[in-house]
Amino acid sequence: MSITRTLDLPTSTDLAPPAGAATVLARFVTRKPLGAAGGVLMLLLMLAAIFADVLATHDPVRTSMHPLVAPGADYWLGTDNLGRDLYSRVVHGARISLAVGVASTLMGAVLGGFIGLLSGYVGGKTDLISQRVMDIMQALPILVLALVLAASLGPSLTNAVIAISIPIIPRAGRVIRASVLSIREFVYIEAARALGVNHLRVAFRHILPNTIGPFIVLITAQLGGAILVEAALSFLGLGIPEPYPSWGRMLSIAAAEYAEKAPWLVIWPGLAISLAVFGTNLLGDALRDTLDPRLRGR
Amino acid sequence: MRVRLPVALLCVAVAAVAAGPALGQAQKGADSDKAMKSVPAKPAAAKATAGSVNAPSAAPHPNGKKGGVLLAMHREDLAQGFSIHETATIATVWPGMPCFNNLVMFDPFKQVESLDSVVPELAERWSWQDNYRNLVLFLRKGVKWHDGTPFTAKDVKYTFDMVRQAPDAQTRLRINPRKDWYANVESIEAADPHTVIFHLKRPQPSLLMMLASGYSPVYPAHVPVNDFRGKCVGTGPYKLKEWKKGEYIEFARNPDYWVPGRPYLDGIRYLIIKERGTRFAALQAGRLDISFPGEATKPIADQLKSSGAKLNFTLIGTNVNDNLIMNIKKPPFDNVKVRRAISLAVDRRAYAKAVHQGGAVAGASMQPKPYGFWGLLEKDLGRLPGYGKPEDNKAQARKILAEAGYGPGKPLQVEMGTRAIALYVDFASFVINELKQVGVEATLKQVETAQWHPLVTRREYQMGANLTGLGIDDPDGNFYENYACGSPRNYTDYCDEQVMKMIETQSQELDLKKRRPLVAQIQNKLEEDAARPIMGWRTDYFPMAPHVKNLVPHHNIYNYGRMQEVWLDK
Amino acid sequence: MRGYITKRLLIAVVTLFGMSIVIFVLMRLAPGNITDIIFESAGYVDQEDKKRLEVELGIDRPLPVQYGAWMRELLSGDLGKSYHYELPAADIIKPRLPVTLELAFLALAFSILLGVPFGVISAIRQDKPLDYVLRVVSLAGLSMPSFWLGMIVILLLVRSFGWIPSVQYVSPFDDLRANLAQFFFPALAVGYRSSALIMRITRSAMLEVLREDYIRTAWAKGQREGPVVWRHALKNASLPVITLIGIEFAFLIGGLIVTETVFNLPGVARYLIDAIQWRDYPIVQNLVMLIAVIVVLANLTVDLLYAWLDPRIKYGRP
Repeated sequence: MSITRTLDLPTSTDLAPPAGAATVLARFVTRKPLGAAGGVLMLLLMLAAIFADVLATHDPVRTSMHPLVAPGADYWLGTDNLGRDLYSRVVHGARISLAVGVASTLMGAVLGGFIGLLSGYVGGKTDLISQRVMDIMQALPILVLALVLAASLGPSLTNAVIAISIPIIPRAGRVIRASVLSIREFVYIEAARALGVNHLRVAFRHILPNTIGPFIVLITAQLGGAILVEAALSFLGLGIPEPYPSWGRMLSIAAAEYAEKAPWLVIWPGLAISLAVFGTNLLGDALRDTLDPRLRGR
Repeated sequence: MRVRLPVALLCVAVAAVAAGPALGQAQKGADSDKAMKSVPAKPAAAKATAGSVNAPSAAPHPNGKKGGVLLAMHREDLAQGFSIHETATIATVWPGMPCFNNLVMFDPFKQVESLDSVVPELAERWSWQDNYRNLVLFLRKGVKWHDGTPFTAKDVKYTFDMVRQAPDAQTRLRINPRKDWYANVESIEAADPHTVIFHLKRPQPSLLMMLASGYSPVYPAHVPVNDFRGKCVGTGPYKLKEWKKGEYIEFARNPDYWVPGRPYLDGIRYLIIKERGTRFAALQAGRLDISFPGEATKPIADQLKSSGAKLNFTLIGTNVNDNLIMNIKKPPFDNVKVRRAISLAVDRRAYAKAVHQGGAVAGASMQPKPYGFWGLLEKDLGRLPGYGKPEDNKAQARKILAEAGYGPGKPLQVEMGTRAIALYVDFASFVINELKQVGVEATLKQVETAQWHPLVTRREYQMGANLTGLGIDDPDGNFYENYACGSPRNYTDYCDEQVMKMIETQSQELDLKKRRPLVAQIQNKLEEDAARPIMGWRTDYFPMAPHVKNLVPHHNIYNYGRMQEVWLDK
Repeated sequence: MRGYITKRLLIAVVTLFGMSIVIFVLMRLAPGNITDIIFESAGYVDQEDKKRLEVELGIDRPLPVQYGAWMRELLSGDLGKSYHYELPAADIIKPRLPVTLELAFLALAFSILLGVPFGVISAIRQDKPLDYVLRVVSLAGLSMPSFWLGMIVILLLVRSFGWIPSVQYVSPFDDLRANLAQFFFPALAVGYRSSALIMRITRSAMLEVLREDYIRTAWAKGQREGPVVWRHALKNASLPVITLIGIEFAFLIGGLIVTETVFNLPGVARYLIDAIQWRDYPIVQNLVMLIAVIVVLANLTVDLLYAWLDPRIKYGRP
């Protein structure tokens, strides 16, 4: 395990001190206002994604005879080159982009986490092999790997999720493995083993819950990245295909072409991506500070 | 009609005089008209009708200034190098043309291309003989290839035997998209070093059109054909200076060019810019002198105009159409009624407005007027499926679908494939939305460019959003390629005996007055059968800096890239 | 120490070997091949001609044979021939490398110039308004897609000044000023993004150092700011920062792909996309390997440097 990769991620687990959920939340808000703001931002976007059908004023894929209309009363954020309502598309885009972001992050994190748990707990050959596989997966920048994967799988919603999740696996695996390694030596684990509790039970009942802290930090940190990778892939035409209105796709199709006549086509989807990632980053930073004992008490 | 012939000739002569003494080839054009006049069966109507359709050409600026490098926009790097014969894309023809010459070409100063605007190039004149069965071309003397080798009739025979895949051809193209253009050529004879005769199986006046296309350069017989994918040896006004892969393609003046005083430019540099927004930002910021054919859509032109950038615009047709392909071999589209219902459902006027913001015009299978020569008249178009009143058309579509057994309870469900490129996706999105209104549930399937043609060739598609660019505005150039039974580019497998006969008949019809209605009939039939419903014809605004002179965009993207006459007024 | 180095080198070799298999397999899994792309520009596919082409390019051979051939070439230093350009791949890749490297270095310079001072100031002013402002500004950079930032920059420039950076690559040896004018905006767009990471690590390293006794002593003496902080603290916080910079450099390449496209810079990153779309196997495979080598080497260097610099690290397995 190289030190460098864990620099900005916690290596061990230590959840917030036992207290009521409300108290924890209140303390978090007062001590980490930026993180709370990020949380609120994320919450709003999630709500927009869930209630997109209610919030949208138009059918997001329906073309109309009013192309490139400037923002106004009828079309709050204007229309695109096919006369589709941009506001409705951005709202529905939240659903697509967040869903893809969350799905791929969770998929990558759970798979990676599982591998990390296994390899950290079992050790030996399993650990060695899984470590080398992770090395290989990490030998390319996330976007490059996702790009190659997306090209090889072909454009579709599912394939986009797969292509984005795979580069997350090794990053999740490392974090979870590291925390498992540190927990494994704890006295109570040894006690449990001494009492004859079987391996699986120890791994899942005792070790897994203690990795939740780094796991949450990891997910928030990767979520923003996943949304950005999706945007870049879609921008390059390798991500989510039409008719799904993804933010990245919106930027690729008409935005560059009509940017000057209709700058709103560039501004809103880009802003939506930035806000979503900003939210995850703010929240992620705060969570890292809170959940990482090394930084506690500053 | 004969009375008007001298008038038209006079026009050519006037144009030639206006072009100044430098425009030697236009004068030669007049010469060749004389040569043509001696042919007894010459369709006199051609001259007269063409004269009335031709839009006024931008007047050539005589006595251009020498010097300067033209900075041209380029969309993507060359796919097959300079091997124009091996491609069917503007991305190769446009930057390849300055290197080559044709036997004949379309008058660079005339926007509308027709038999009538064909002028001499390497063939200084030509003569139809034996009732349009033999085309005799008299080649220019003293022309040299870029490497110094003299150009002779052997090169011509070599080139076109190669393209038509003659049994005794010296070489074989690794990809040959235009073989069918020359299906009617029986043999090519190099009678002497400066005379070539094309012997035809049957009369075919359109042969000259095909020879005039930017897709028909003459290759040198002494250079291996594969070399053209990396370098360029032509007889053209410019020599290849450098092809910096992925960055630019640069040409320099050919000092030994056979037209005295040409070209004006020191060189041309085609800058490769992949991102469309960046391309036009560069044009606006003055980092480019000219656009790329077919790229300046209406919204782009509008925003360039409103930006205050100093650019001139020319509204032109592109001879590129958007069309729907339906797999006729498989249900449900083996049923002509279902196809017609689909065609009825898409409102063509709305299409032009919505998908192209007005930067497209409605028309059937030949480029519409005034851009094209053969397009249907507006009143005839109105009767075709999808062109009339949208409500009526949609009601009719629903009725037909109901008759075919589809309705609210059992909607017709189809999958519409297209390439994962914005251009295509916008088009497909619109059509899907129109189909929804007649109860057809179409889903979009995007495929990568690498997959599209294999998929279509294997006929593993139901329905597709497709683009077709036509090298020449000519019925032979279009129908044989896209609608004839067994043609590799007839993606829908539409095959109708009656239509095939009509195509053959019009092809050998020498009298334009008779040929026109035949072509119109074919167009009507193709749309009625929904063989490949045409959605619209794209237009282009071809922006260029005001200091670029003598570049006249044609109503066909493929045929005006020679740059021989272009000069910079700086 | 020597054992440790040997072991790390061995792992690096294994990683690269694994990567070569991964990229080889992925490219063959991708639908279509170069012949489809070649026919694409002709508008039809002729199965016989296609087959002929496949034989000519050797992509009809069994996969293990193709892989073996590639490995033999690679090990003998031959990068093969580009299918698309029909030229040695090295000739295609080499002129593009300086473009990407210059962009990466400039972007890195921007990210350090922004990130380190922001991080230090932010740490000193911990939880003060300035701290929040700087953190928000820097996190905003991390949140914006760099291609979007590039689009906005071009839009603003062309709208306000009717000017954009040159769309044709200018070599720094031909015209340094024009070259810098061309690279300034793309480097800023990428660098701004990375600066957030550097700021974050600088800030937390600084916070840690500021709690050390000698700094506290300095504070106690009333030297809360100024030379003390800068000299002592920064010196001690530099290790993790350098580490991160090393890793960032390798990972910048990802961000360059889209930025090179938007700004039309002929670098390797943009070319990778072209090559993937063209299914130009030799180019994609070798470019990916090149990137992998850079990443692996950066990691290796950083790990070794770390092991060498920090006595607390044991050379063996942690």
